[in-house]
Amino acid sequence: MDKELIARLAHAAGLDKAWAEFPDDVASAAEQALGNKGGISFPEDPAAEPWPPMRAGNGL
Amino acid sequence: MSALHWLTASEAQREFGAHRLSPVELLTALLARIERLDPKLHAFIRLDADTAMGAARAAEKELSAGRVRGPLHGIPIGIKDIIDVAGLPTSCHSKILVDKIATADAAVIAKLRQAGAIILGKLSTHEFAIGGPSFDLPFPPARNPWNPDHHPGGSSSGSGAGVCAGLFPLALGSDTGGSVRNPASCCGIVGLKPTYGLVSRRGVFPLSFTLDHVGPMTRTVADNALLLDAIAGHDPADPGSAASSARYFGRMLDRGVRDMRIGFVRHFHEVDKPAHPEVTAAIEDAVRVLQTEGAQVRSVTLPSLNEFAAVNRVILCSEAWSIHAPWLRSRPGDYGQLARQRLLPGAFMNAGDYVGAQRRRLQMIAAVEEALRDFDVLICASSMDPASRIEDAAETSRTYPRQARTPFNVTGHPAVAMMTGLSSNGLPLSVQFVGRYFEDATVLRVAAAYERGTEWHRMRPPIG
Repeated sequence: MDKELIARLAHAAGLDKAWAEFPDDVASAAEQALGNKGGISFPEDPAAEPWPPMRAGNGL
Repeated sequence: MSALHWLTASEAQREFGAHRLSPVELLTALLARIERLDPKLHAFIRLDADTAMGAARAAEKELSAGRVRGPLHGIPIGIKDIIDVAGLPTSCHSKILVDKIATADAAVIAKLRQAGAIILGKLSTHEFAIGGPSFDLPFPPARNPWNPDHHPGGSSSGSGAGVCAGLFPLALGSDTGGSVRNPASCCGIVGLKPTYGLVSRRGVFPLSFTLDHVGPMTRTVADNALLLDAIAGHDPADPGSAASSARYFGRMLDRGVRDMRIGFVRHFHEVDKPAHPEVTAAIEDAVRVLQTEGAQVRSVTLPSLNEFAAVNRVILCSEAWSIHAPWLRSRPGDYGQLARQRLLPGAFMNAGDYVGAQRRRLQMIAAVEEALRDFDVLICASSMDPASRIEDAAETSRTYPRQARTPFNVTGHPAVAMMTGLSSNGLPLSVQFVGRYFEDATVLRVAAAYERGTEWHRMRPPIG
């Protein structure tokens, strides 16, 4: 992932301090996140629901 | 009678009942062993010996007067240091919370006290149950009693090491991606991740709300059932708690496996993450033992291990980020490097990733449920390798994700890991049994049949 993009994403996530002090950890985290997302066959069926189910109850 | 430190909880209970042993005698023997071995093993972050001895004296008085509080009366237990024990720090093995004193007992601790258990102290964990084994934390990492140069597994490291070494017969761990079953596998003990929602997590520092479980860690299956009986039950204050009537988890331990249908998930360790040959051989042996006991074993296919792991990671990192973001933003240097590296990916997941993983999760749950319509339980690998050397960071990082435990955090099915052999370098090998929701008793039934058919549970680490 492009270093400038990681810096912008880290800034957006409020990680300026972490980016300044541990740039390698932040960069590796961004790569890991990308790798993990890439390993999932996200459902194509628009009606596929998530778990846990939304449940009717007594309200919040 | 065995040496006191090797007594199981069930045996100690019988000895107490027959007035051949007292809780004070048992605790005195365990404290002496802890004093001798823990400087090598580092299972404890905080040993609460005086309070434990006070509780043992009280238990001795009550038991000698015939007043039995519950099935664990007078039995010592160690607690992973992410679980609140009132008056003791819950440090999560981290500088971030090193001085945080718990003001109330976690629900499981309250239940243990009700059952009469004696809380011995707080045990080592990977930092926040995710970052370890690490040498840059306020406390050293626990070590493996089979060989202290090796990792005891994690994140419930002290729980696994202490039960294995005979420092205490029972321990509590937590399991979000395999953290009860990993140390059980590395240390050769019995570790159960119960059905999601069976055991309350109130008062347990969260890692990932929809993946977290609290589970029992013991040397025998019977003790595992005994401890699960004590801690299971609905808790309206835990939003994930289920109103299940599942109870008496040891009721079927003697029934055997004759005519039970067992699905063998071979592709996990043969294709998805090819296991060390000794692990493969040990799993095949376990299958043969169950077949000899009368079980019918057939292969079954589930979604790939790599995809289960990816779904687990996206959910775990997203949920953990929602907990740790304030500290990762303001105090990133107060985390150990491994915890920081493993928690930061959550900052780079978006809402669509999280919900997408949860949608795929439901499909994966359906796939496992479908398999469990044809089978009573599943058998599969737990760890793909024996425990790595603890100071070999590269080897630990290579072997740590090579496991088949995360699928059942994703799906919430009950899963137990236990010993199924020793590697050529003297380290435990393991197998895993998985069951239907709230049929934890059936999972333990199969584990007990396997235990009876082998001698692994009688083996002791060469630690003295």
